[in-house]
Amino acid sequence: MRGRGRVSSRVCIVGVGQTHHRGSGGSLAYYEIAFEAARAALQDAGLTRGDIDTVLVSGWDVLDGRTISDMYLVPAAGGYLKDSAKVADDGVLAFAYAYMRIASGAFDTALVMGHGHAEAPTELVSNVAMDPFFYRPLGMSATAALALQVSSYTARYGVSEGQAAAVAEKNRRQGVNNPYAHLRSAVTRDQVLASKMVAWPLREFDCPPVSVGAVALILCSEDRAKRIASSWATVEGIGWATSSYYIGATDLWRLGALASAAQQAYVMAGIHDPLADLDVAEVHDATSYHELMAYEAMGWAQEGIGGRLFEEGVTSMEGRLPVNPSGGALSTNIGAGTGLLRVAEAALQVTGRADGRQVEARTALAHGMSGLAGSIGQTHGVVILRGR
Amino acid sequence: MPRRVAIVGVGLTRCSSWRKDVAYPELVYEATSAALQDTGITPNDVNAVVYGCMDPFDGVNAPEKWNVDACAAAGMLNKPYLKISTGGTTGGSTALAAYYHVASGLHDVVLAVASQRVGETLEAQLVLNTAVDPVYERGFGMGAITIAAIQACSHMHAYHSTEEDLALISVRNHENALNNPYAHLRTKFSVKDALGSPMLSWPLRLSDCCPSSDGACAIVFASEEKARKLARQPAWITGAGQITDNYFAGDRYWYEDWDSLAMLARRVYRLAKIDDPMRELDVAELYNAFTIQEILEYEALGFCEPGKGAEMVRRGVTAMDGQLPVDPSGGVLCTNAIGASGLIRVAEAALQVMGNAGQRQVPNVKKALAHAWGATIGFHTLMVLDREAP
Repeated sequence: MRGRGRVSSRVCIVGVGQTHHRGSGGSLAYYEIAFEAARAALQDAGLTRGDIDTVLVSGWDVLDGRTISDMYLVPAAGGYLKDSAKVADDGVLAFAYAYMRIASGAFDTALVMGHGHAEAPTELVSNVAMDPFFYRPLGMSATAALALQVSSYTARYGVSEGQAAAVAEKNRRQGVNNPYAHLRSAVTRDQVLASKMVAWPLREFDCPPVSVGAVALILCSEDRAKRIASSWATVEGIGWATSSYYIGATDLWRLGALASAAQQAYVMAGIHDPLADLDVAEVHDATSYHELMAYEAMGWAQEGIGGRLFEEGVTSMEGRLPVNPSGGALSTNIGAGTGLLRVAEAALQVTGRADGRQVEARTALAHGMSGLAGSIGQTHGVVILRGR
Repeated sequence: MPRRVAIVGVGLTRCSSWRKDVAYPELVYEATSAALQDTGITPNDVNAVVYGCMDPFDGVNAPEKWNVDACAAAGMLNKPYLKISTGGTTGGSTALAAYYHVASGLHDVVLAVASQRVGETLEAQLVLNTAVDPVYERGFGMGAITIAAIQACSHMHAYHSTEEDLALISVRNHENALNNPYAHLRTKFSVKDALGSPMLSWPLRLSDCCPSSDGACAIVFASEEKARKLARQPAWITGAGQITDNYFAGDRYWYEDWDSLAMLARRVYRLAKIDDPMRELDVAELYNAFTIQEILEYEALGFCEPGKGAEMVRRGVTAMDGQLPVDPSGGVLCTNAIGASGLIRVAEAALQVMGNAGQRQVPNVKKALAHAWGATIGFHTLMVLDREAP
């Protein structure tokens, strides 16, 4: 990326906390669920809220059903009387902001929060994110737009429903190993293919559920990490990008913003051959097909043949680059926290703390995207972590 | 220490209650193209974009996705693009985010954009009411104006400020706005007119309250190396920050003082090495959505002792020819494009430091302060701009 200067301070992840993600919040308000994750992250880092200098939260007010949702989220995340901000997008972008705050040297320790607690129907919320002239009257929504993207991809490259169903089967099977996952039940390829059609060619099990839950990460400078932790993950590379809005102005079969975000992160981390240099990846599988498209955008496979990489077993738990040991978004989809949850899981992997879903990993990639805003998955973020 | 960061260019739009003449991306483009032109750069020179707005006040959720290509072609070029929403402080938080993009060393030239299309909202106060807790506070009809009215009652009770003081503030801001081609309300009126205007939320009259505006603002932030090349006189950021107070109105028993702002001011003045703000600052752009808030802000920002804010108004200390002119632009009282208002304060402060404020220029500005408040008065942002690098 042009114009990138030298980052003065290395940034580390020293704490990870998440809730047991579920289908309903019950009697808890969204900020009470966020509090659970914040407390877990502080406990994980062995810190108290007094140790946090700055808090970055994320989310969409319209989805939360609460204007200025951060006025409740920030104090729940230990930010009372502190310097905070809300990134109105997926938490992976709040992570990017927290990274910059620490890297600048202005702050020592940050807490980043992602939460999902849909108080409004996600299809309606994503429909009002469309412009009022062209797309909104068509009934365009997140699922419809992703389906349009997928059908363009499958038509161009002959990717089959069966190939996508196998991705869903993999992620749901892996989700069983994750005690925090929302859906902890395996589904077979045949079950995916027999599941209800949602928006052609997407079936119910090709799409993520709507989950309630939250995730929090604690970031700090390397100096501080050395003082307070015995192991941590360092941020080696980071990138994010948004592509154009108009569907007709984009090559739908290609995740252009993800390619840009990955490239930014690779350059920063000095990664030339991602398939060889990465040990594990957590990919934001907005649909089963999108995991394959992400392989391609991140340069792991030529465009159109992400499915072959999958079929060769490269991205299975036993493969060279396991993808989504956590079960991915197809198992847990906490709204604007889903991308940040990928970063959290990647941090657990490189510090050897992923328990039943652990793979052998020193370097991990996490990818998050903006699920519910924008015409077609316009916004992507990529983070590369290394264990220390 | 963070890298040095400066503002090198500013773009503002004309504001009105509904900019029917433009679609949303066009409104944004008006600001961003002006900022790039002011800086003398092209979209290719911009490394990253930060966008601020408050979605619930727009007719579109996440409008930044729609407006992405109006922001230095960020979408076509797949640039880093980050969206900020923090209530009334959104614009201030957007400036802070752009500052950290550069201060971190990750980016050299960053475009901050903020917009709001309140003209497409049914009623801003109804939207604001959805910010407060649905069980305890929403039923009281709480919103911005009701909280400001409580501030006014408390201040009048504790410090004997008067309705006439509020009228003086309104008249001064409206006079200033006459010099600002970008202001929404540009009408001259007298203290008598102000005191005769209808009561909205006692003791606040129509003349004490901001309008709701359509508008946008864009600012180019740059690293030291770039700033020295791009601007004859950059506006250097010497101190900046945000503070988050609690959220239940009933949990605050004080309304006559703005403690959280005073706390933030101490932090930011320390960063900017300011000991005596009244003597050292040359101009301030304060977020005065309601007249009474200016008085509380003077006191919290250390321009005077607690309780003496009204006296400053009576003595004309903050008038254009006073010791510390406040809101030469006419402030939020005359233009409130909610999510953009905080960034407009930063833009106006930068224009003053750069000597580019036209008719509203205060002579010889060395240091300027930009402020915003948000949420149910629980958020504040501050930024100090200086003619000299820190």
